[in-house]
Amino acid sequence: MSLTVILFYVMAALTLVSALFVASTGNLVRSVFMFFVTLFGLAGLYVFALADFVAITQIVIYVGGILVLILFAFMLSNKETLGRLQEKGQAFIGFNNLPSAILALLFFGVLVSMIFKVMPDQLEWIANSVANGNTFKATDTTTNNLGINLMTRYLLPFEAVSILLMMVLVGAAHLSRKESGA
Amino acid sequence: MDSYLLYFAVALGLFAFAAGFTLFAVYAERKVSALMQDRLGPMEVGKYGTLQTIADILKLLHKELITPAAADKWLFVAAPVIIFVAVYVGFAALPWGPGLIPTRLDLGLYYLLGIISIETLGILMAGWGSNNKYSILGAMRSAAQIISYEIPAGFALISAVMIAQSLDMQTIAYQQGILSSEPTKFLGFWDVSTIGGLLSWNIFRAPHLIIAFGIYFIAGLAESNRAPFDIPEAESELVAGFHTEYTGLRFAFVFLAEYSMMFLVSMVAVVVFLGGWNTPLPNIGPVKLADWTTNWAWGILWTLSKALLLIFVQMWIRWTLPRFRVDQLMNLCWKVLTPLAFACMVISGLWRVFVM
Repeated sequence: MSLTVILFYVMAALTLVSALFVASTGNLVRSVFMFFVTLFGLAGLYVFALADFVAITQIVIYVGGILVLILFAFMLSNKETLGRLQEKGQAFIGFNNLPSAILALLFFGVLVSMIFKVMPDQLEWIANSVANGNTFKATDTTTNNLGINLMTRYLLPFEAVSILLMMVLVGAAHLSRKESGA
Repeated sequence: MDSYLLYFAVALGLFAFAAGFTLFAVYAERKVSALMQDRLGPMEVGKYGTLQTIADILKLLHKELITPAAADKWLFVAAPVIIFVAVYVGFAALPWGPGLIPTRLDLGLYYLLGIISIETLGILMAGWGSNNKYSILGAMRSAAQIISYEIPAGFALISAVMIAQSLDMQTIAYQQGILSSEPTKFLGFWDVSTIGGLLSWNIFRAPHLIIAFGIYFIAGLAESNRAPFDIPEAESELVAGFHTEYTGLRFAFVFLAEYSMMFLVSMVAVVVFLGGWNTPLPNIGPVKLADWTTNWAWGILWTLSKALLLIFVQMWIRWTLPRFRVDQLMNLCWKVLTPLAFACMVISGLWRVFVM
């Protein structure tokens, strides 16, 4: 077993365990910080998929932006609201949890059956790409490829997303503006 | 197996460097502040007080680790480690000389930006975990400040990256000297590929990068919570801000992170704008100053001296300027630095297309 394989399993275990903790703990603030560990483990898994740009983007956006925003929301809300949110039922599997438990189990079943049906090791297009040499090596630079594709093939979605973000910015500025007495 | 041992040795070496640098920098800070205020500074321990910070760290190591009764123990204990590790892993991507870089990443600069944003999380963790109103106020100020200043800092770096066309720190460094594989032009018209020196640094390859460098330096001060942007730990208002409750070794870690962050920010500025490990001396006719002073040993000397010079300027600013108010700080960031950084980015695009 090489070091990379060991690292892969360590990352995967870290992601799963921390995600379980995030979902099960009653302490909301701790679960947010644990979510950071989950995202970090996921970023590691992205690196194993040779998507290092996605990995770093995930850390910049989720850790630097979204997690900090969630924490701001916590710190600005009052303690009673937080306390009510943190109240938990006693039983691990109670009547209130039944719908979500069923949903989770069903979704898990769907995922497992899909993995077994697709058989990712024997996909035809992957075999074709390997045969044609249309693959990435770990040492290749992916950034140039990403940039060129974003500016040519995916220009319309890219622009649509930027317009959406612009609308969000305008909306946020409007909401946070003080009402003037005009 | 040997290569793994080498990895560990490099990591340990970087940690030893960060710790040693912090000891040295704290002493330097006290001496610089003394110089600015016409005092002597530490004089008692060792000749000219040189052993003062060693004595300080010995004292810190002996102190009891106090955890406040109402604190969230996990967060409180983990926070200083996260704050320090976030800065420390950034050291992995910094080039020290030609062919001398711990890890040569394609996305080195982007990686550093990502790493710096993790520190915010550690600071928020410390503030919340301490369960103390001063700590949480300091943490919130710090987070607001770092997030805001990441924007001008990021755009200033992007305008340099647009000129360099690479996110690899080592490639960016290679381009700014005589080892460059492509022609380097001073101000876009004079080919200085064989002359090198000061003339081929990024700030002189495209003059608007001088402004970008200024923006990045100011934003770097804010990101490492240094005066005049030290409202997160404003002593006169918040006791000590987010690290009020920390004692002993944990406090030492927070300190280590602050000084390592100063070094990291200065190193990024040096590599991206000031030629990295390239010599400032140009070749003048038969006097091949640049050729003589470019190899890995000189590289380390040049990087260190440039970074230490920037750190000296940071200390100089700290002991000269008073602290900003929160609204002044945000005004400076959003109304001055961000539009300027955007302008730099636009000029970079035009420069790349029409001049280079």
